[in-house]
Amino acid sequence: MKRHSVLIPTVLTFLLGIPLAVLLWKAPLLPPNAVREGDLVDFLFRLIAAIAGFVFALIVSFVGYSLIAFRRRPGDTSDGPPMHGNVPLEVTWTVVPLLVIFGVGFLGTWVLFEIDRPKPNEMTVRVTGFQFAWLFEYPAYGIRTNELVLPVEQPIKFEVTATDVIHSFWVPEFRMKIDTIPGRINVKRYTPTRIGEYTLRCAELCGAGHYAMLARVRVVSGSEFLQWVAQQSGAQAPEETLSPLAARGKELSDQLGCLACHTTDGSPSVGPTWKGLFGKEEPLADGTTVLVDEAYLRTSILRPGEQIVAGYQNIMPAYEGRLSDEDLEAIIEYIKTLK
Amino acid sequence: MRLLWSLGLIRGLVWGIVGTAIGIGFTMLVRMALGKPAWETAPVTFVAAVFGTLAFLAGVGAFADWWRWASGEEAGDPPHHHEGPEWVRYFNFDTDHKIIGVQYTITSLVLMFAAGIMALIMRLELAQSGLQFVTPEQFNSAMGLHGIVMIGSILLGVAGMANYLLPLMLGAPDMAFPRLNALSFWVAPPAAILLFLSLAFGGFDTGWTGYPPLGAVGATGKQFFYLGVFFLGFSSILGAINFITTTLKMRAPGMSMFRMPIFVWGVFAAAWIQLTGTQFIGTSFLMVVLERLLGMGFFDPEKGGDPVLFQHIFWFYSHPAVYIFVLPGLGVISELLPVFVRKPLFGYKWVALSSMGIATVGFLVWAHHMFTVGLPNEANTFFMFTTMLVAVPTGVKFFSWVATMWGGKIEFRTPMLFLLGAFVTFLLGGLTGPFLAVVPVDQYLHDTYFVVGHFHNTMFGGFVFPFLAAIYYWFPKVTGRMYSERLGKVHFWLMLVGFVAQTGSMFQTGLFGMRRRIADYDPSLGFDTIHLIGSIGGYLVFFSMLIFAYNMIRSLVAGEKAPANPWNSRSLEWLLPSPVKGVSWPTPPVVVGHPYDYGVPNATFVRLAPAGGSDRSSQTTTPAHETKEANR
Amino acid sequence: MSTHVSHATYDRLAINRLGLWLFIFSDALIFAILLITRFALFGTSRPEELNQALGLGLTVILLVSSLTAYRAEAAIATGDRSGLLRNLLLTIIFGTLFLVGVVGWEWREAPHLGIVPQEGYGIAFFSMTGLHAFHVLTGVLLLLIVFFNARRGAYGPDNYWGVEAAVKYWHFVDVVWVFFYPALYLVR
Ligand code: HEA
Ligand code: HEA
Ligand code: HEC
Ligand code: CUA
Ligand SMILES: [Cu+2]
Repeated sequence: MKRHSVLIPTVLTFLLGIPLAVLLWKAPLLPPNAVREGDLVDFLFRLIAAIAGFVFALIVSFVGYSLIAFRRRPGDTSDGPPMHGNVPLEVTWTVVPLLVIFGVGFLGTWVLFEIDRPKPNEMTVRVTGFQFAWLFEYPAYGIRTNELVLPVEQPIKFEVTATDVIHSFWVPEFRMKIDTIPGRINVKRYTPTRIGEYTLRCAELCGAGHYAMLARVRVVSGSEFLQWVAQQSGAQAPEETLSPLAARGKELSDQLGCLACHTTDGSPSVGPTWKGLFGKEEPLADGTTVLVDEAYLRTSILRPGEQIVAGYQNIMPAYEGRLSDEDLEAIIEYIKTLK
Repeated sequence: MRLLWSLGLIRGLVWGIVGTAIGIGFTMLVRMALGKPAWETAPVTFVAAVFGTLAFLAGVGAFADWWRWASGEEAGDPPHHHEGPEWVRYFNFDTDHKIIGVQYTITSLVLMFAAGIMALIMRLELAQSGLQFVTPEQFNSAMGLHGIVMIGSILLGVAGMANYLLPLMLGAPDMAFPRLNALSFWVAPPAAILLFLSLAFGGFDTGWTGYPPLGAVGATGKQFFYLGVFFLGFSSILGAINFITTTLKMRAPGMSMFRMPIFVWGVFAAAWIQLTGTQFIGTSFLMVVLERLLGMGFFDPEKGGDPVLFQHIFWFYSHPAVYIFVLPGLGVISELLPVFVRKPLFGYKWVALSSMGIATVGFLVWAHHMFTVGLPNEANTFFMFTTMLVAVPTGVKFFSWVATMWGGKIEFRTPMLFLLGAFVTFLLGGLTGPFLAVVPVDQYLHDTYFVVGHFHNTMFGGFVFPFLAAIYYWFPKVTGRMYSERLGKVHFWLMLVGFVAQTGSMFQTGLFGMRRRIADYDPSLGFDTIHLIGSIGGYLVFFSMLIFAYNMIRSLVAGEKAPANPWNSRSLEWLLPSPVKGVSWPTPPVVVGHPYDYGVPNATFVRLAPAGGSDRSSQTTTPAHETKEANR
Repeated sequence: MSTHVSHATYDRLAINRLGLWLFIFSDALIFAILLITRFALFGTSRPEELNQALGLGLTVILLVSSLTAYRAEAAIATGDRSGLLRNLLLTIIFGTLFLVGVVGWEWREAPHLGIVPQEGYGIAFFSMTGLHAFHVLTGVLLLLIVFFNARRGAYGPDNYWGVEAAVKYWHFVDVVWVFFYPALYLVR
């Protein structure tokens, strides 16, 4: 048998592996990163991609070379040389990957503890996920919203939880995600570094509306943030006089999270706006129209799946059994006031 | 009519329906006696499903011998003779491991087909942004069914290969417990029926992982899903008892553990996971069913339960489960590679032990599926290291395969092509594992299509490709006929191209933030083209599998007669006639050497015992002292 | 069309034993899962209201039944058929007593003491005792089958695998209780 040298595949490995590793290190494989912690994550990602690329090239070079050099010639029916094994070789390819793994593991550990390290003067934001919307609370300002607005360069501590099933808080540009679990409060920290608009996407299957469980995220300058805070606090002060029942309804629709999907100012959101809803002719998805009266509101809230508003998805949770009659009355009363 | 009734499958279905009806009536009577409304879907269907399954088994005849034993008769050894046409046996409760192996394999392919249809529905919907064909609920049901039925298909496929091959490769007459073996197969059809019945009861929108609290509320379809998986698991556990016992106790004389064919090592390692791990998924699902039926709040925080506990129990099985899928598959690669390379398996012992290593370490890594649930970082770090540790024994396999090829005489027959396909796809799948193992990176990638790409690569590379290689390779053994080599090659290339397109799009979109398990994606992400390519790829894979089906069926009827040993293999099973008739090894052969001594002059693996009366033994006789040594 | 094979070349008893052990090992894991669940959810806390006297009494009954089961096996090993029958019957009676004690008495009483299956400690209590009771029930059924087969004279000093298997299973069910009892009634 002719002795084949490992020179060719070795050279091939480097010829293929180094460009591949460099390519994977450099290529923009992830969306742009918008938080400080993300730099470390991206670094780790690139490192692993480069290593994986090299290992891939190594194996593919040797296999590819073998397939060509050691293919069976026509007419040859003999067997190959009986090589049974080689202990030094086996030890090498056990120990080298082990070392690589420990290297990556240590870096990974360091990054993990680094990104979760508490920072001075953090701002706390509480996040609640429920089917199928998000609610954000800023305890420092007493604001509750369905849009996440963050000042740039301000370390934020998110305390996340859920009320019904498990959801997951994920803004791809913020890199890490964290599950929101009923009965638990999880903590994750981010420092936004890039002004812009992003989308929060629920990343844990939570039912039919999971795909649409989104929220708007805005990273703004510090001054803009303060402006927004002032505006929000103003908006939430009782500007007009509501009957006690309607006031109760307003409070409830905030607490129950209705306002995460419905607006009261006419702008569209996940669900249709409540402004001017009562008394109007509502087109339904099945082509018919219906007059919005108390009975319709009642079914729409208790069993929203029965009549779907045209242009919207059937993702509103059914509130049957979750709302007392009085509470339902109150909410309907409140909707009526929104002319 | 007589003929139909003589088919166990038909009897089972009829009995099953009757049993279901009895279950419904019984539950309603009990409920009325207790003063409750007679009908409530969940409890009634639960009892009916259990009754129906048991009745199905009784109708098939699974309990006949046990019933005889319990009523004091001797049941004796299972019969090896039968009347009527041969094909009838495949639809009956039959204790011959070869029949059972084929039953498992065909069922596996049928389930794969059904799950493939589900995948096509998903890919159709995903080909473009926007909701076009299905509602989100339907999408979720299709997605979950696709996942769990594919996984069921894998479990049955593994059991099919193991059942057919273990006794043949070990020189045993049959499995250790033939009746139990048949029972474990026949539990699978009702389990599959239960899974699909979930569609009739509102589907299930939890994905194959079935996490509560979502799984604990909503449509009754979820209950069918949990029950179906529970029965599948039961079948799997019973199978494992057989595999382990057969491997440990039924080896031919002279076959020490380190002279076993390497495939047996793969099955043996996987069987330990099946035996121990499966209880965890079974019990966790049962706990959710109890929560649904009786309100026992295991996983409900308001009642003192904990949703994260479920994930621990679930993944304690479901991670090691992925090694049930691959260990036999990698076993097939290690088994066939020497045949097509005409060289001994490089580092046999290392490869054998690496299977055990993977199985062992596999039990220490479960929480890598839970890096985002908020475990303490100390725990996350531990699981990160153990997870990456699996790369070491897997790497040993890879490098040993490379070394096996080195210097060989590689022959590109269809099974070999599938081995190479397995090689590349499993490498891609494996190498994407460490990304997911490193906690901070996984916190980005978790629940994205990157994970979907990872596991399609590992499962295709670790199971689907090797499984197909195995089917092509042992087709002549099972049927006595050759398949069409040309169609086989067409199948391979189409499948490879389709698969690369399919998973390429998964990786690409996943990295860019495409979430898993969504019916619709944001058009502003710009994924439409890539998803379209992925969909086309998925359809190509399906189409190539249709060619495969055609090839198999046509060759079964009209293929040319296979030579006795078409691959010139040294394995035991090729010493028997194809197809193997009757008892596999009435008298065990005597093992005197190693299974993979290709190219070793005058090497002998087995000597057929005189009673075997055949000359197809290996080339030379061996001095007596060697036999003794092997017996130690 | 095929030859009959005797599996005589293989040690059938050893094979059966291994199979049984594997089954028991696998089954034991279900108990382990519930044990883990109990400690994961409730730590080492436990309600005061449990009926300690009943729990202790039942435990003693079960332990004694293990002894009689052992004696049944020992009896047939020496060919003592009447000893086998007597001890089997005793074991069955003790087992049934245990079942009645748990399901008929304890389960009736617990809800009045505030331990309900739906929430809190009751989740662990009812699932663990329930799983165990189910195994006791299957054990009693197995013993009954063995008992009737034994009456027909099915076993002798060199062929009593049926007895051995049922008794081994019974011991297993008892050993499990030895873990469950302190976990449910004693830990603090
Ligand atoms: C056949 C199935 C199979 C196999 C073999 C694997 C193998 C591996 N898997 Fe995979 N995995 C799945 C099936 C499988 N997986 C499934 C189904 C899921 C998703 C479940 C769900 O949520 O639905 C999943 C999810 C999953 C996750 C969770 C992702 C998430 O949800 O966030 C993680 C995280 O660590 C992971 C890691 C790994 C690793 C490290 C390996 C390793 O075993 C890979 C080892 C192999 C190699 C690394 C290549 C060969 C090695 C060398 C050539 C040596 C040199 C290499 C180096 C030094 C790097 N997998
Ligand atoms: C073995 C396992 C396996 C296989 C082979 C496949 C094959 C395919 N998978 Fe699947 N997949 C999973 C296991 C598998 N999948 C799992 C576990 C999940 C997770 C589910 C969850 O999240 O809960 C998943 C999820 C999953 C998703 C993500 C869904 C989501 O998160 O929303 C997608 C999306 O594209 C997808 C697509 C496909 C496609 C297009 C194929 C194609 O390759 C399919 C092509 C068709 C076949 C391979 C079958 C053809 C067979 C025949 C024609 C039979 C021949 C018959 C005889 C001889 C009788 N799969
Ligand atoms: C997850 C988002 C979501 C939440 C939370 C939600 N809704 Fe809705 N709602 C929708 C969507 C989407 C529609 C339109 C589709 C439909 O008719 O079901 C809708 C429709 C309605 C309608 C009918 C509107 C019309 O134009 O005819 C009413 C009334 C309503 N919701 C009330 C409520 C109340 C009250 C709550 C809280 C107690 C609530 N919603 C919570 C998403 C939501
Ligand atoms: Cu909330 Cu997905
Ligand atoms: Cu895993």
